[in-house]
Amino acid sequence: MIIKAQHSMLSAWFKSMTSLGLLLLLQACTTTTIDEFRQGATGITSEDSVVILGRRQGAAYETRAQFVECVGERMARGANAINVIPEQQFVDAMFPWFEPRTAPLRSEDLQALMAQPMVTEIMSGFGVRYIVWLDGQTETTSRMGSISCAVGPGGGGCFGFGSWEDDSSFEARVWDVSSATAVGTISADATGQSYMPAVFVPIPLIARVEANACSSLADQLKQFVQGG
Amino acid sequence: MSNCTVTSKRAATTNGGTMMKRCFQSGDLRRALLSLLILLCLASCAARTVNVQGSYPRPNIPAIPLVLGVYYGEGLSDFVYTELSDRGEEEYLVSSGDTHEVLFNTVLPAMFERVVVLDSMEEAAARGVDAVFVPRINEFQLGMPQKTRLDSYEVWVRYNMRLTGADGSYIADWVMTAYGKATASSFSTAERGINDAAVAALRDLASNFSLGFTGVPDVRDWLQRRLSQ
Repeated sequence: MIIKAQHSMLSAWFKSMTSLGLLLLLQACTTTTIDEFRQGATGITSEDSVVILGRRQGAAYETRAQFVECVGERMARGANAINVIPEQQFVDAMFPWFEPRTAPLRSEDLQALMAQPMVTEIMSGFGVRYIVWLDGQTETTSRMGSISCAVGPGGGGCFGFGSWEDDSSFEARVWDVSSATAVGTISADATGQSYMPAVFVPIPLIARVEANACSSLADQLKQFVQGG
Repeated sequence: MSNCTVTSKRAATTNGGTMMKRCFQSGDLRRALLSLLILLCLASCAARTVNVQGSYPRPNIPAIPLVLGVYYGEGLSDFVYTELSDRGEEEYLVSSGDTHEVLFNTVLPAMFERVVVLDSMEEAAARGVDAVFVPRINEFQLGMPQKTRLDSYEVWVRYNMRLTGADGSYIADWVMTAYGKATASSFSTAERGINDAAVAALRDLASNFSLGFTGVPDVRDWLQRRLSQ
């Protein structure tokens, strides 16, 4: 009888914890908003390539290379995959024209840059049709709660609750290299609340904010450069 | 040490050589451990040296049809920056002379028809160069995350660039600055962060130097005169 009662108590505890986990999992989701502004017609062939570059001229923040890489990888796979040139390979090959202090800031600067025969030659070698400038960052705000951990001779554990909010805000400006003009801007804003309950063991329920911003932005960019 | 002496005396009167040997061995072990502890303490207290190492791409710019001599003298080849801790002790020694030579040996051959590395300023005339370039570091600053409260290592360098004729006559003298930063990572060392920030600063120097060289007023005037001859 005692064993049966213990079993039923354990089962109830397990069910309640599972429900709590599922509830928190549902809460730890991300909201992503994508805005597109088209300035010109687009289209890409299988011979054309796209290069995605991060803006790094600001003192306050710089676009993370990992985010740039994430968007590029996502655009280069799946149905209607696009040829994406790795950022560092392109920047090294174009040195010193795409460094943080020398990179063109406006599409008019690209026109002046394309007047350099060496630049045009390298661009043609890569088959670059579009340059995508990514600018943005992810910030963590609204940190709340605390978790305490203790270790003793009989074992250890943590107890508490923590939560925080991540806000990703990225903007992708698309330049058409063939006409040296800006053809559009896509912005991605993602927000998500993450939780970390700790009952003996901390259980991280992380909202994948930047990853969602990356996938949404990459999918939209893919459609955009294909003219969709 | 005094404990050991007492024990060894007692050992000598009781079990003779065996105990004495055991004590001698334990004494050796203790000394070795103490030495190791002192060495570890000294190693942790000593300033850590960062020999900056990096590779730099060749600039894609049209070459000036002149022969340039370059002299890596004092203030560049032997430049070592010392970062002090809050208590005024030497914390990091950043040596960047070799990597500066690697940088200029990559950048200058792309900017000029031919580049000659000079061992001294006196040999310039004999080597048939049109001008001699002498770079020098004036100031070096390092920003460490624990001091700046930012999540990145930062390097800022101010240079004095000098261009003289083969006979040592003045052509141009100007100041350049370079800045680089590297994001601090939980899984990386401070040495790696300093190195990456310094390499980023040198890359910044390379890009500005290669694109801005002909825009320096005195250099521009000299090039106009020289190329019209």
